[in-house]
Amino acid sequence: MNLIAFCKIGPGKPAVPPTFPARFLTKTLLVMKITAFLILAACLHVSANGFSQKITLSVREVPLEKVFKEIQKQSGYSFWYKTQQIDKTVRVTLNFRDASLQEVLAKCFENQPYDYVIVEQTVVIRPREPAPADEVNPLAIIKGKVTTAAGKPLGGVSVTVKATKKGTTTDDNGDFTIAVHHEDVLVFSYVGYDTKEVRVGDQATIAVSLTESNAALNEIAVIGYGGQAHKNLSSAISTVKNSDLNVGAITDVGQLLQGKVPGLNITASGDPNTPAAVVLRGASTLNSSQTPYYVIDGVPGADISLIAPNDIASIDILKDAAASAIYGNRAANVVIMVTTRKGKTGQTQVNYGGYVGLEKVSSELKVMDAPELRSFLGKNSLAFSPSDDKSANTNWQKAVERNSAVSTNHNLSVSGGGEHGSYIASLNYANKEGILNGSSLQRVIGRLAIEQYAINDKVRFGFNVTNSVSNSNDIAYRNTVLLESALYLPVSPIKNADGSYFEDFNHQNYYNPVAMMNHSQLNTKYNNLAASLFTQVKLPFGLKYDLNLSYQDYSSLQGEFLDSYFTNNYNGMYNNPDPGLGFHLQQTFGQNGQATESSIKNTTKVIESFLTWDRRFGDHSINAVIGYSWQDQVTGEGFTVTTANFPVNSIGYNNLALSNPYGLNNWDVNFGSDGVYYKTRLISDFGRVNYNYKDKYLLQGSIRRDGSSVFGADHQWGYFPSVGAAWRISQENFMETNELFSDLKLRGSYGVTGNSTGFSAYTAQFLSGNNGTFYYNGSNVAAYGPIQASNPDLRWEKTATTDIGLDLAFLHNKLLVNIDAYNKNTTGMIYTYSVDPILVPAGRSPRTGGSMNNKGIELGITANLVSRSDFSWTSSLNLAHNTNKITSLTNPLFAGGDSIRLSDPEGGGQSGSTLQILKAGKPLGEFFSPQYAGKDQNGVSQYISGADTLTTSPQIGIDYHYLGNAQPKLLLGWANKFRYGRFDLNVFLRGTFGNKIFNATRADLFRPTTAQYTNILKDVAGESINNARAYVYSSRFIESGSYLRFDNATLGYELKSFTPYLKSLRFYASVNNLFVITGYKGIDPEINQGGISPGVDYNNFYPKTRQFLFGLNASF
Amino acid sequence: MKRSLLYILILLTGGSLITSCHKLNEAITSELTPSAFPSDSSQYPSVVGPVYVVLRGNYAVEYFFQQSYSTDEALMPARGGNWYDGAQNQQMHYHSWNADNGYVNGNWTWMSTIIGVANQTLNILKTAAGTDAAKKPWIAETKMVRALAYYWMMDNYGNVPIDTAYGDFTPHANVARSTVFNFIESEIKAALPNLNTSTAASQYGRPTRYMAYALLAKLYLNAEYYTGTARYDDCIAACDSVINSGLYSLQPISTYLSQFAPTNGPQCSEFIFAIPYDPAMTNTFGTSGWPFRCVNIHARYDVPRSMGKVATGAGYNFFNLPFTPDGPAGTLLSYYSYFNDPGDIRNNQWLTGLQYEPDGVTPLTVTTTKSGYDFTYTGSDGSAPYTYQVNLTPNYSLRLSTAQFDVGNDEIGWTMGYRNIKFYPDATSSSRNQNNDIPVFRYSDILLMKSEAILRGGTATQGQTALSLANQLRAQRTTSTAWTNITLDSVYNERIREFAWEAWHRNDMIRFGKFEGAWGFKTDADVNHRIFPIPTSALTLNPALKQNPGY
Repeated sequence: MNLIAFCKIGPGKPAVPPTFPARFLTKTLLVMKITAFLILAACLHVSANGFSQKITLSVREVPLEKVFKEIQKQSGYSFWYKTQQIDKTVRVTLNFRDASLQEVLAKCFENQPYDYVIVEQTVVIRPREPAPADEVNPLAIIKGKVTTAAGKPLGGVSVTVKATKKGTTTDDNGDFTIAVHHEDVLVFSYVGYDTKEVRVGDQATIAVSLTESNAALNEIAVIGYGGQAHKNLSSAISTVKNSDLNVGAITDVGQLLQGKVPGLNITASGDPNTPAAVVLRGASTLNSSQTPYYVIDGVPGADISLIAPNDIASIDILKDAAASAIYGNRAANVVIMVTTRKGKTGQTQVNYGGYVGLEKVSSELKVMDAPELRSFLGKNSLAFSPSDDKSANTNWQKAVERNSAVSTNHNLSVSGGGEHGSYIASLNYANKEGILNGSSLQRVIGRLAIEQYAINDKVRFGFNVTNSVSNSNDIAYRNTVLLESALYLPVSPIKNADGSYFEDFNHQNYYNPVAMMNHSQLNTKYNNLAASLFTQVKLPFGLKYDLNLSYQDYSSLQGEFLDSYFTNNYNGMYNNPDPGLGFHLQQTFGQNGQATESSIKNTTKVIESFLTWDRRFGDHSINAVIGYSWQDQVTGEGFTVTTANFPVNSIGYNNLALSNPYGLNNWDVNFGSDGVYYKTRLISDFGRVNYNYKDKYLLQGSIRRDGSSVFGADHQWGYFPSVGAAWRISQENFMETNELFSDLKLRGSYGVTGNSTGFSAYTAQFLSGNNGTFYYNGSNVAAYGPIQASNPDLRWEKTATTDIGLDLAFLHNKLLVNIDAYNKNTTGMIYTYSVDPILVPAGRSPRTGGSMNNKGIELGITANLVSRSDFSWTSSLNLAHNTNKITSLTNPLFAGGDSIRLSDPEGGGQSGSTLQILKAGKPLGEFFSPQYAGKDQNGVSQYISGADTLTTSPQIGIDYHYLGNAQPKLLLGWANKFRYGRFDLNVFLRGTFGNKIFNATRADLFRPTTAQYTNILKDVAGESINNARAYVYSSRFIESGSYLRFDNATLGYELKSFTPYLKSLRFYASVNNLFVITGYKGIDPEINQGGISPGVDYNNFYPKTRQFLFGLNASF
Repeated sequence: MKRSLLYILILLTGGSLITSCHKLNEAITSELTPSAFPSDSSQYPSVVGPVYVVLRGNYAVEYFFQQSYSTDEALMPARGGNWYDGAQNQQMHYHSWNADNGYVNGNWTWMSTIIGVANQTLNILKTAAGTDAAKKPWIAETKMVRALAYYWMMDNYGNVPIDTAYGDFTPHANVARSTVFNFIESEIKAALPNLNTSTAASQYGRPTRYMAYALLAKLYLNAEYYTGTARYDDCIAACDSVINSGLYSLQPISTYLSQFAPTNGPQCSEFIFAIPYDPAMTNTFGTSGWPFRCVNIHARYDVPRSMGKVATGAGYNFFNLPFTPDGPAGTLLSYYSYFNDPGDIRNNQWLTGLQYEPDGVTPLTVTTTKSGYDFTYTGSDGSAPYTYQVNLTPNYSLRLSTAQFDVGNDEIGWTMGYRNIKFYPDATSSSRNQNNDIPVFRYSDILLMKSEAILRGGTATQGQTALSLANQLRAQRTTSTAWTNITLDSVYNERIREFAWEAWHRNDMIRFGKFEGAWGFKTDADVNHRIFPIPTSALTLNPALKQNPGY
């Protein structure tokens, strides 16, 4: 067989030299002659054993031909070969003394693409491996080296022959050896680098340098109902890869993205249980919840707490309306597409990631200690009450905090796949202690994702199931506890000599915060399940059909217990709600312990079905999608019950049946709030067309028709169109010679998105509800009356966004620049108007009316500043500027939107004082308050009155002035990645500039005249005792909120393939919030910028922490 | 291949079946929609209930403050900044209120809400299942509550808008006071025939025919001030309708104060209309955006803080309260001085001077420091303990700040002012919410209104004279001898003694022309201040409103 093949190649191949040397002819004849021998040899199993001529040879780097001649001379054996064969051999170095022929030949052919057979006295040279029948060209061994552009060797690069897909990988030094044909094309590919193809030709060694790929260009952006390469996008989409997410003991996805995306303003308070507020390109509505709309692996509206940060592969943020309009109805705030890790074809991969984190308080309120307060009082002829002054020096803030809070996290995943399917299973365990005593969160997330092809790989099934189980311990009336820890007099001890808690109920609203904490429990367990089934069918004519079914189930079980000490001592206390409510509610507890148990369940069912057509006609390619989406949601199924009067405290909330609420006077079992349960349905039809001409001109159009059950009967359906176009200038012929730009794209888009959230599902209905009880014929009878006016005109709120963008890549992708400018108009804003109660007694009614505008510019720059083999530095900077303005706040019937004062912290003596105003022409978050004008001769604060005179008692509303606003002028995120050998260092800084904060927390602790009853800030020391109302909310407490935070530094060290069982191992150490540069006097300048009253530091007692983290990632 | 085509076909068919659903109507199964409630006439009490919950709203607290702190009856100075509350109390006292004053604003909202809820309720009753006969009394009672709210609104704000139909969201302009007066009069007259005449417990807390007459009497007594036209004979006729019913009688002197105690209720023979309060009553108005507390918490404001629940050494829980009262409010000496008849039972509603424990012998003491007692103390031993007997002093001195209406945050400051405990602190409540119902119209008011109407030129009827009516009352109030003559001033003085803390004093002062007088720190004499400004928030919500003159 070999021989036949051999014969065939002989003549007529292009490789044959044009002039036939005589030797060639003779050799051809010889071939024919020895064919017989060979056949014989094969048949007789002739071996080369038995020849014993001794050969002595010493040569260095000589061609084989020379060696053959010498051997022929010494042994008498002749050689049979083709000249081309010799051309493909490598030179040899030999050193033999009296060696056998076999020894010498073995050495000669050691690294050659050929071996030999000895037939009689002839050494026949033949290809080392039997060539396939249709193989038309002999193989050659090629050596090569792959490096980075900077010359650093690249190991693990896949080197494959394009035609046969066979190949190898480079070793640690970047070297590889491969058998190829001259005409073959080698494909070099490596994650994160541009794939390169090299034609082998006559090269014996190939040196290839790979350039780091421009991720932004080639990576597929998840755009909803499909994906698209960034280079072919005509809309503004930012992609953040897992490796770029924030590091830390973070359980909230918002915080993972902080500072990473230009225009995405994320604010997280120190309180780990409050999700970060996420605002994209300025607030676009007054009512929508600030939670982004998450689409996880194509499941719309998924709960993000389902996903462990380790399982996230990438996150795409749909920034302009052209991108998000495909999610029409939910896209008003921000659509965040989360893609999780998937199993890959090939070897089973096991990954482990784990860390342990340590948190320490980095900032707390600077209140006086005992000597300071005593000296302040002494100076002002004031004194503590003997019932308070026990000569202690208690730091009450420390008393409610842990010394340090420990977090641990373990994430284990197993993934793999075969030719027709893949899987990934992961398990995440997180245990996070809060910095406040007794607070903690434990979470276990299990996830399984399977993909399987069936029916000739025409149908792909995907099944994902994720379950997240959390157990969180919080502190009952936490804000009150924190308030007390700031207010409580340092001269009082935590406990009396007899071991009981110190209390002084002579003061109003004055409770020992440590006793509060230790006499209450608050636990929430929640379970979050999401399951989805994807089916994708490949149809003829480039058609694809997708059917996605998903089910989500969230259930929570909350228990709260206030023991008998709490209920019997603290009855009548005020709560201290989070900002926004504007009033404190007095709490009435049942005696002898009060327990609440609440079990709530939300379920969402989604069916999405769409048909995709993807076709290329020459230079034209078209991708079109039409689809349908159906969503049914049930929220708030369950119950809440509060009962009281327990025989003992040890039962807690675990056995409500032991309570005796009917034995209490004037106290009722409570069933929580009215109207928790509701159902909504959303149905949508959508379509999108993408057209691409030569990768040069890109066009996109989409339309979504959305229906929501929440709107008035005649206004349930809304249309949300979008168009986008892009011109990849760098693809034009005239740019071919340009060396500067590796990519240059101009984009423009316009689109409309809608909003149907942020208000109750039954907002359009005329509803009666429980209004309380009243005296009727000797008993208290329930009153049911209208709680909501009918609102048949309620309709879709729409936000239209125009976006112009420029994507630039310079100097072989060493410098990437993205610029976007946008103009965003919200109209028909659904806003809860204050209405004349004589018309609508509820006093408030969500109505359609009002508009808002946001204009802004965003800049993202990524630069590969240094990329040497031993050292590299990549720096990414993002900047965003936005101006927000409320353009109108009117409704044809209800005028009560404009000039509404809001943000009422209700500090002592300040009932009715507000901090902000909603007014057309002003931005959201405009401060409106008295203007501080220093002190009068008696040291009393004075203010500029409404009539521009000075007053010491400014009147609410009248002596108020516009005092700037809470929205930042500039947001900055600056990430730096350094790599030195096996070390990597990430440094991330983040800043907000030009915003103002109303420090109401500071104002409320600014009370020189009541310092003998409640503690005050150190800064009050200089205040005159005459300044009884130093605390008046005014510009005195409006501060610049600008800051620059050293958000994170992570140092990693990576080991690669140091044992066969461990592919890689990386250790890292990380610090979060190392320092903040700010002039702000409160705990931290990062104050919630979401919601309707942003930038108010109110009840910001939660201590800010600094976090140290040690972790390792291993893959097996 | 054929098989896969089949699958594809199945999928496509399934897909198109799924996508054909475009129905958005979600049945509401968890709310009281108009079709679900009320389903029959037995639910009418619950349908009208919201009217009574909201009527309870501000009456015991903020409405009382506006009627009382704007007169010489009471004031609430700040103590070291506490209770300053945007100058709302200061403005009430100085008559310097503006359109942003918290009480002016809150009470307008409250009264508007009563009217709005009544309109909504009438709208529901109109279309609800049930016969007209079954609906009639409920409609009449609801209209009477609305008329009462309009009366309060007209009395306080003068020119107010008239809204009577729910569902008409167009803003209505305010109309002249006389128009509102006529509207109220016609509403009462229209409701009268359908109102219940029973004074049984079953009707307690809801308008009866006699409540309608009492309101008419009040309207007519003040008619000359409201409209310029005197209606004293009409007032007398309305009073006679009540008197002639024979259903009401004066509490004897021995039980006079008990009718204001936590145990008061339907048994009180003087109550023509009272608003029931009960700590067990719930109110969800507050949580759904209607900021009315619907509670009686008089003790919180009136009882000195050392006489409720106190820490050791900080006083004595004289009233056995479950909470520490703030006690920032007290009366003025000029008002208290009307209580100058030692035989008068009504003197017992005051707390004055040195306080003792219930044995009447043991001094009620507070242990503090020298500077805690007196913040102006300048000695070096300011922190030395100091024990004193609680001594309520009659006069106020703005020791800390005149501009900020502040008497100081020390024991001297906190014990300034004589206190009223007419609505006796409720020791049975587990919270500061009291069980005392608050009367709006009492029989004694009918007698004094008739007496006054006669003195103002009305024709005496049924053999009763101004003097005989006054003496009829005084016989059950004092052991002193009966009057032998009567003047308008003596009726005014008697009203002070009879209706202290019952939220009528502002109305009386205006009618007697005394509202422009000087008391306490107040010297303002602007007659425009007889009515309050339309609040800024109301002007915002209803652009058709016009501000009252002088504001």
